[in-house]
Amino acid sequence: MAQTAASSHLSSKARRIRWIDIKENITGYLFILPALIVIGMFGFFPMGYAFYMSTYNWRVKQGDFIGLDNYLKALGDWGGALIFAGGFVLLIIAYLLWTGAFKPAKSWMYTAVRIAAALILIAGFFAISDGWGKMEATGDVEFLNSLPLTVFYSLGAVPAEIIIGMVLAYLLFQKIRGKEFFRMLFFLPYITPAVATAMVFRSIFSSRETSLANQVIGLFGMEAQKWLFEPRPFIQSFFGIDVQSLNLPTLLVGPSEALVSITFFGIWTYIGYNTVIFLAGLGAIPHELYEAGEIDGANKWQLFRHITLPLLSPVTFYLAIIAFIGTFKAFNHIYVMRVPSAQGTADVTSIFIFDTFYKANQYGYAAAQAIILLAIILFLTFVQNKVFGERVFYG
Amino acid sequence: MANITAANRGIKHKTPFFERIKPGHLLIYALLIFGALVSIVPFFWMVSTSLMTLGETINRQWLPKVPQFDNYIEAWEEAQFNKYFLNSVIITLTTLAGLLFTSVLAAYSFARIKFAGRGLIFTLLLATMMIPESVTMIPNFLMVRGSIFPLPGLPAWKGSWLNQLPALTVPFMANAFSIFLLRQFFAKIPEEYWDAARLDGAGHLRYLIQIVLPMSKAPLLTVVIFSFIGSWNAFLWPLLVTTKPTWRPLMVGLYTFVTEAGPETQLLMAGAVITLIPILILYFLTQKQFTEGIATSGLKG
Repeated sequence: MAQTAASSHLSSKARRIRWIDIKENITGYLFILPALIVIGMFGFFPMGYAFYMSTYNWRVKQGDFIGLDNYLKALGDWGGALIFAGGFVLLIIAYLLWTGAFKPAKSWMYTAVRIAAALILIAGFFAISDGWGKMEATGDVEFLNSLPLTVFYSLGAVPAEIIIGMVLAYLLFQKIRGKEFFRMLFFLPYITPAVATAMVFRSIFSSRETSLANQVIGLFGMEAQKWLFEPRPFIQSFFGIDVQSLNLPTLLVGPSEALVSITFFGIWTYIGYNTVIFLAGLGAIPHELYEAGEIDGANKWQLFRHITLPLLSPVTFYLAIIAFIGTFKAFNHIYVMRVPSAQGTADVTSIFIFDTFYKANQYGYAAAQAIILLAIILFLTFVQNKVFGERVFYG
Repeated sequence: MANITAANRGIKHKTPFFERIKPGHLLIYALLIFGALVSIVPFFWMVSTSLMTLGETINRQWLPKVPQFDNYIEAWEEAQFNKYFLNSVIITLTTLAGLLFTSVLAAYSFARIKFAGRGLIFTLLLATMMIPESVTMIPNFLMVRGSIFPLPGLPAWKGSWLNQLPALTVPFMANAFSIFLLRQFFAKIPEEYWDAARLDGAGHLRYLIQIVLPMSKAPLLTVVIFSFIGSWNAFLWPLLVTTKPTWRPLMVGLYTFVTEAGPETQLLMAGAVITLIPILILYFLTQKQFTEGIATSGLKG
């Protein structure tokens, strides 16, 4: 008797708990519902739909199903694309071998592993250039060429943004007056509308002899440049090294002067953001560590190298990833700063996709290009995580 | 609290590390001033050009002889900024209202309510931050045009949002970043508040409105600032969905003005200065919160 009373009491309690659980669940879903509808409709759904579109011959209106032909049209040759991608995988393997991700027991094996890494590295480069050549032979050369341009923009902007941002933050972190004032000024380019500031840069980096950029290099006795209007490679137009006559691939010749000018804008915009975040990171480093270092007789460089830098590495890593994805998505300022005279040498992939979509009205093909860009971003983020993520020191 | 900061200051004073570099301060200032100049010179160039005559913009001087304030009136009228400015204000405020509504509710739910699949949904949401606009832009354009399925709205719209206010606002009324930022803050509010509120018979909604929101002014302001800037500065999407001036925002208006103003750089720069003003006002009013909000939100990512 007593037993059954106890058990019925238990079960009613359990039932009540379950009812509360269900109520909690319903409230939880109701609360996220408005956000989910918006993000689902304008974030998730278009992701899937973009892929769907990319498999159709879709100009303004939906046409025939063509499978992966749009991708083939862009990349040219599946075999070439595979060899190309395989080349990057080889590079990663070489890197992992070289840094000793697989630690052998004996020292002679260590040398062997390093030699193997070097060989794989060479093979990787070979595969990349071979695969690229095959893709260029049959694919959409203009689209393919927009990829190294994006890489130039990214490699030009990201390290400079990070290093300058870190230096400025380090300087601001010293006991100086007017810290807030400087921080405010540095931050200004980041918040102001890119369309407006890019227009200013268009005037600063114009081909006029009296443009600000030309006045500045004039101070150093250099000849006026055409900047945003200059399609020739930067090292040729600026330093006078004749690389065009060598007929090298774009990747080796380097960015055009127009793209370099746009990169300056990118750096100018993001330095302030990086400075502010680095400052916060510096503030989080415990003071005692510096004191301990001082007692051990470390100089300022050693303190920076062995305390600041490693403890700041999570912030650096975070900023690098953000900046990197940002450069691959960059659109507004490039769209404003590109001029016909640059002959498309500043049309990075995101711009090119927009043109395919908006000007050429090739919706399905543009969707395929966008998905290729997304795949590249995902792949490179993954690589960054693997290669640099392990060097980050989380305390 | 006061004790702790006092103690901290005490430590700083004893630290020779910061004291010893005094002579080096000159160099530090020189570098900082150089950096500040680089940040500020384009703005100076913009304002100074905007006050020049056409002739002065060509024979480039640093300053106009007589400031031509009329340029601003001319730019304002020629570029139809009357309309576009108002459009931008309405678009920004509508987006903000919608965004705050959706993100506060969702952030609270992710932080405080235990429901099945919470972690998974949250991770999926965060993943949307990596998707480039190039991918979503094309289907979203078709959708807004009403080509995929008819959208709700006035009968006159015929299921399409093209050139209508919702096209410019609804897609931005929720984003993973705002939800993430608020969630981080809500999750740190001590459990005791909830227990006390529940004893008083409050449900989640009342607790959220009466207790949580008044405590969360700082993160809410950060979300407002970020979204204001994002919405005001938006360009690519408004360019796509405003083929007529009806709801065209300021940034697209400024861009189309490039072709209209032609070689008259001074008008273009005057137009550019006008578009900056609301952002600058917001920035100077909320300066401290601004940079600190960005610093903390950035670090927690």
